[in-house]
Amino acid sequence: MNMTLLEELYEAIVDGDDDLAVELTRKGLDDGIQPITLIDDAMIPAMTEAGRRFETEEYFVPELLVAGRAIKAGLEILRPLLSAGDLHHAGRVVIGTVQGDLHDIGKNLVAVMFEGAGFDVIDMGTDVSPAEVVAAIEEHNPDLVALSALLTTTMLSMQAIIEAIDTAGLRDDVRVLVGGAPMNEERAKEFGADAYADNANAAVRTALELVAAA
Amino acid sequence: MTNQTPEIDTTCRDRVLTALDHREPDRVPIDFGGTPVSGIHVSVVAGLRQHYGLEPRLVKVHEPYQMLGLIDDDLKQAMGIDVEGVVGRETMFGFRNDSWRPWATPHGLEVLVSDDFQTMVDDRGDTLIYPKGNRSAPPSGRMPKTGFFFDTIVRQPPIEEAQLDPVDNLEEYDLLAEADLDDLDTDLREAEATGRAIIAVLPGMALGDIAFVPAPGLEHPRGIRDVTEWYVSLKKRPDYVRRVFAAQVEIALENLALIHGRVGDRYDAVMTCGTDFGTQTSAFCSVDTFEDLWSPYYRQINDWIHDHTTWKTFKHSCGSVERFMRSFVDCGFDIINPVQCSATHMEAEHLKREYGRDLVFWGGGVDTQHTLPFGSPDEVREQVLSRCEVFGTGGGFVFNAIHNIQAGTPVENVVAVVDAVQEFNRN
Repeated sequence: MNMTLLEELYEAIVDGDDDLAVELTRKGLDDGIQPITLIDDAMIPAMTEAGRRFETEEYFVPELLVAGRAIKAGLEILRPLLSAGDLHHAGRVVIGTVQGDLHDIGKNLVAVMFEGAGFDVIDMGTDVSPAEVVAAIEEHNPDLVALSALLTTTMLSMQAIIEAIDTAGLRDDVRVLVGGAPMNEERAKEFGADAYADNANAAVRTALELVAAA
Repeated sequence: MTNQTPEIDTTCRDRVLTALDHREPDRVPIDFGGTPVSGIHVSVVAGLRQHYGLEPRLVKVHEPYQMLGLIDDDLKQAMGIDVEGVVGRETMFGFRNDSWRPWATPHGLEVLVSDDFQTMVDDRGDTLIYPKGNRSAPPSGRMPKTGFFFDTIVRQPPIEEAQLDPVDNLEEYDLLAEADLDDLDTDLREAEATGRAIIAVLPGMALGDIAFVPAPGLEHPRGIRDVTEWYVSLKKRPDYVRRVFAAQVEIALENLALIHGRVGDRYDAVMTCGTDFGTQTSAFCSVDTFEDLWSPYYRQINDWIHDHTTWKTFKHSCGSVERFMRSFVDCGFDIINPVQCSATHMEAEHLKREYGRDLVFWGGGVDTQHTLPFGSPDEVREQVLSRCEVFGTGGGFVFNAIHNIQAGTPVENVVAVVDAVQEFNRN
């Protein structure tokens, strides 16, 4: 089969082959393909496909992680060649696991999917306090705040963070998306979030909708 | 053959054995605290002691990673517990529970911890714990200032692909020494004296359990110790994973022979592995990956146990694991825990109907994510009665909450659980 370079790059990312993704990204540049073309016509569609397979359970955590690594490896090569606007056309998101909780597998999956969808991702890590989220909003002016919790005991920190954003007068400036094992739609509403997502792909889809509607 | 003395009342044990044999016992048997995945947070144990009016005493944190409290015999009696755990003396942080001293949790509760439970508070106010109680090693666990449990601190040395050696991921696994076997025997004798059924947690047999991968008990771990890197390895380095599992099983089989040589068939059930395959709505890996990487090794361990002992094998996996149930049965597991009915495709009726002939459900009794911590005592009662009805019919059920009862759970709700099981048993 005679695949174009863009198709090969797409396949490499979907398959999670980071070495091949790097090689093809470099080759694409050498062949005169514009960086933004590599991103828009191969990388983002590839990550979208990996996310779709994750949501339909053709892919699981390992497959999505390696796809994420492959797109990251390609983007690293392109980053110096692009303006921030080109790289991050989807918007900016501050993401973290909430106070008291150190679990980040789910949060990391969502972060990598956001990046693959063209978001500028400010990853605050784990055990993030309400004050730290408020400070991050003030510093980075994101479109979206994404919060994760694994533990039932820490889930309530989400509510505290959303209240702190409100108290700081910033609630109208950002949309808040929440997720994690003990969460559901009902809790998300109760805590004052704008939306809930139950998997990484749904998080991206919901984030794009929230930002578009803002 | 057992060496139990005639004067020990074995009603509790018989009840559990009947349930494990898929026959309906006189009552639904209850476990709390038999394993590190069916326990109760130390703060709730303290609350329960107070509720039941038991002798005031500090509760021992016998499992520091999840801060599980030891349920002493008086509380077991008050709660009607039928199971006794033989969990080993070494903790996940690599020190032994040999002697006890008071310690105040970050939330101000006085508890008892092992002498080697060595911690410091960092500038964030988090509590850091040292592996093997060695303060000169980097800490291996962190309890956030507002948290209630430790989580592992990943200490991942830089990975040089060409230098990766599976031996580095095996440092924590070794043959049991004579002294370890002596301890097992002593602990087993004490457990037998209670007349309860005995579940033992066998050391070193958890394959790829993400709680153990970072090696919280080692001072300077080598190999693949980062959680994400481990998951990546399932896809990128499956041969490495296979070689780790194969070598681990080789050690495990030798240890099984040593343990069985010492304790014989006096264990009723054994927990070998708590690797989680389920997430809330899906799975960590595909069934194909499970069959490829885990099944052959699980089968080796379980086959040895079934060929040489009367022990029932206990598998813990959180989350939505319906898709793995047939594989669990096929590779020789007899008991599944914690039966997370709140996860996708894990409805109690469905599980009992499809897998109840082949698997004992040890758990599933009440939802610890929603109903138990946040519901009313009436809601708790209703759920417990319903789960006892569904899972208990025809035996094959040991009552336990879905995983450990967490910090912050209202004591009256835990009491409502116990009362509801007793109510079910009376009717």
